[in-house]
Amino acid sequence: MERRDFIKISALTGAAATLDACRAPDKQLIRFIPEDNLIPGIAVLKPSVCTLCAAGCGLDVRVMQGDAEVVRGGKQGVISMGLAKKLEGNSQNPINAGKLCARGQAGLQVLYHPDRITKPIKRSGPRGSGQFQSISWDDAIKELTSHLTSLKASRSSNAVAFLARPLGQQRRQLIDRFLESFGAPPAIWYEPFDEAVLRQANLRSFGHAALPTLDLTRADYLISFGADFLGTWNSPVAQSIGYGEMRRGRPGRRGKFVQVESRMSQTGANADEWIACKPGTEGLLALGIAHVILSQKLVSHPLAERAGSQISGWSAGLPEHSPAEVEKQTGVSAAIIVRLAHEITSSGSAASIVGGAPLAQSNGLFNALAVNALESLIDTGRDGGPILGFTPGPPLGNRENPVAPPKSGFAHLNAFVQSALGPASGAPQMLMLYEANPIYSAPPATRMRQAIARIPYIVSFGSFIDETSAQADLILPDHAPLESWLESVPESGSLQSVINVAAPAVSPLHDTRPMTDVLLSIAQQLGRDVAKALPFATFDAMLKAAFVPLRAHKGSVTAETDDDFWQNLQTQGGWWSAPPSAGSKGATNNSTAAGRQAPTAVSAPEFAGNGADFPFYFQPYLTPSLGDGSAAHLPWMQELPDALTTAMWSSWVEINTRTGEKLGIQQGDLVEITSQAGSLRVAAMLSPGIAPDLLAMPVGQGHDTFGRYASGNGVNPLSIIAPITEQNTGSLAWAATRVKLARVGGPEQAKLVMYAGQMSRFPHNEEPR
Amino acid sequence: MSHKWGLVVDLDRCTGCQACVVACRAENNIPTAGPDQSARGRTMQWIRVERTWEGDFPNPKIRFQPVMCQQCDEAPCEPVCPTYASYHTEEGLNGQAYNRCIGTRFCANACPYTVRTFNFYNPSWDMPLNLQLNPDVSVRSVGIMEKCTFCVQRIKSAEIQAEAEKRDLKDGEFTTACAQSCASKALVFGDLNDPNSEVSRLSASNRSTRLLGELGTRPNVTYLERGTWQDAKNS
Repeated sequence: MERRDFIKISALTGAAATLDACRAPDKQLIRFIPEDNLIPGIAVLKPSVCTLCAAGCGLDVRVMQGDAEVVRGGKQGVISMGLAKKLEGNSQNPINAGKLCARGQAGLQVLYHPDRITKPIKRSGPRGSGQFQSISWDDAIKELTSHLTSLKASRSSNAVAFLARPLGQQRRQLIDRFLESFGAPPAIWYEPFDEAVLRQANLRSFGHAALPTLDLTRADYLISFGADFLGTWNSPVAQSIGYGEMRRGRPGRRGKFVQVESRMSQTGANADEWIACKPGTEGLLALGIAHVILSQKLVSHPLAERAGSQISGWSAGLPEHSPAEVEKQTGVSAAIIVRLAHEITSSGSAASIVGGAPLAQSNGLFNALAVNALESLIDTGRDGGPILGFTPGPPLGNRENPVAPPKSGFAHLNAFVQSALGPASGAPQMLMLYEANPIYSAPPATRMRQAIARIPYIVSFGSFIDETSAQADLILPDHAPLESWLESVPESGSLQSVINVAAPAVSPLHDTRPMTDVLLSIAQQLGRDVAKALPFATFDAMLKAAFVPLRAHKGSVTAETDDDFWQNLQTQGGWWSAPPSAGSKGATNNSTAAGRQAPTAVSAPEFAGNGADFPFYFQPYLTPSLGDGSAAHLPWMQELPDALTTAMWSSWVEINTRTGEKLGIQQGDLVEITSQAGSLRVAAMLSPGIAPDLLAMPVGQGHDTFGRYASGNGVNPLSIIAPITEQNTGSLAWAATRVKLARVGGPEQAKLVMYAGQMSRFPHNEEPR
Repeated sequence: MSHKWGLVVDLDRCTGCQACVVACRAENNIPTAGPDQSARGRTMQWIRVERTWEGDFPNPKIRFQPVMCQQCDEAPCEPVCPTYASYHTEEGLNGQAYNRCIGTRFCANACPYTVRTFNFYNPSWDMPLNLQLNPDVSVRSVGIMEKCTFCVQRIKSAEIQAEAEKRDLKDGEFTTACAQSCASKALVFGDLNDPNSEVSRLSASNRSTRLLGELGTRPNVTYLERGTWQDAKNS
């Protein structure tokens, strides 16, 4: 559905076309014919899908007519077009029910970003120099197609590689089918903070290789081991909606919430009780609580057979995890462990979740399995079913979770790097890149930069130049998400099956083309198997073919004909199954289905760097504003004060206040943090909310190449992470690097910008808790 | 009966996520200051999430509190404005007439809540970010004071629509940008003159309190206190 075909340049006429009366006649912009049928001043709401994290919230885009300076056919002019003014949550969408998070609001700035690549460009200087020149779409596609054709003819099975961030179901299928029919290896789906460990654990404990969905509206007690569920973990908007109801949505019933973590997160700040636990021992703490429940017989229902069977010693009552023993290993007192066990089991409906740093350890899978076992023990499934459940898959096609990559993206990335650095005969000859930035986010020991430098030809489809796409030889910029056909099947966040589908909310602003349609047209030109695998001219044709069969299933969209169904689907912004009826949630997650694996023995966490030389644990953490760094280019996100520290436009390292005093480090000083993998310098932020032997730094800053708002801002903590992996899944254990700390300068060198003052401690009498 | 607009902030629901801050910025054309001006304390927010730390490791406590213009019945900012740019509307709002403001900043001085922000320089947007600007809200220039208006553009728009359709406004028919985005429903906006509105019901809660209420400003924002571990009863 390309609008550029019918945009005509209207000739300048004397009386009409002037935009700005102050401009001299020779500087007046050409005014193009208006596009949309919008009434000036009257807003319309168009559905869309948020793409700023994987949760898949539905959007309502407020669109109003406005004038935009654009370039059409090489000529600068003004066009009246629908402009996106405000993003709201789609009130009908079961995931977010009309709500939207801070980062989701900033999707508007992706669309109207001044650093977007506005047209296809070709490298004209050395790689990474930033020198590009214009190339027409026809020539660009011809060049790419001819490269692909010659590589296909060479019959080298490894020649073409595709590296992208995890994408929605249909988009992923398009790329997968393209690569498979071409004879290339499967795409590498990579994001720095993937959830491969939790999915693997959930598969073993509950039979679902997926992130969980929490029905907090029925919860009386939630204990979270490191999961920042109100900020960055899993489906934060859906979880926040449930959290509000858990607290104050049920008269007479206020749910309690305990957070276990060594560094207070935004989520942990809301807990009734916050418990610091030694990094990597969170699983042991869960087993300590479970030990008390089992040994004192605090529950009378069947004892979590499936999830429990994943932990050795479970059926014997976890004899090696007495509170005294667990206290020694975790630093959490036995008295607290016993108290928690009693509170959880006397609180009505309880649930336990795990996420974040505990999974990013070498023993991450063990920690997850242990918490899952506790969860199975306490989440009884009475009163409408367990709190922790799983989103049912959509009723069509592959019933396996359609979103989860089959294995750790990091393991896959490492394999790619090995082949790129290996003998030329097996190395990739071309890399296609879409919105993945491993040069920035993968630890330097991964040698991503070196691997990319070896690849003869690199094409990027992303909209921005970042550290990785700056290495491209050819850039074919995609539309912005709000200009695109979007679809996603959220992995979690609702107990209804949800499929988001949306038409573009606004017309393309620049001379960009959808990556999907470019691949489809190349597929047709490559002919034979590839053309047969992808017999669609446009992506929306592919979406229509994929989703129209939903008409046969009971759900939120109904119609008499396929065409009407397709229309109604777009109007609603998606399809969702009927809400689960009250009685149908009875199934627990305790099935004893076959295919279970042998129990996992307790494993202690391993760290890169010994305790003597590197006395501190180091935890990079995600923030709601910048995420994994892919939202760092958005000024609203840079200027959003961090929830706990109010810092903005900056990097900092959180240091326990007493630790800082002992080391002579004052608030705002410049400190140097050194690991086995490297060192960095950053401002010190003294905090009461962090363990004395832990340092924590937010992820997202430290780009050297990512537009005007992000480049040169702050420091990237991932640059000193050692390449230590989780022992079962091969995922990056990003919380397993140890560091040392030294003061190297004062605040005038550290450039810390804060909205408010430092984190003060007021003299205060402790209120009874 | 005329409306009297009010807001309830339930501190037990607020998670400190700041979706309200960004939603407000997007709705009301609030410029970003950038790193240099931000370092000089010139970040502009009409709603901010305060956080207060108490105690020390291992039992630190932090409390989040969204603060916006309290639309006081006895607003200290109104009597001090020499041009009546800060004035009281018939619907209980503290209005800010941008084109009467001459930038004395007496109002911000008088405000005990520090909710008024001043345009120390002409705001600018790197094109095409300006395309996002909301046409329903004036873009302010240098020397103008601004603050939360309870999204008066949305109020006016809803009132005009209801009048055109010859009907009353319904509770929940529209809301402020901050309340609309708030996932945990900590922010609730509505008509305090409607005894059946959500905001009236919540304002009457036994958890309700006013920010610096002892100063006599009579704010129209009601805060509901956070719960405690032993708290089993609801409001």
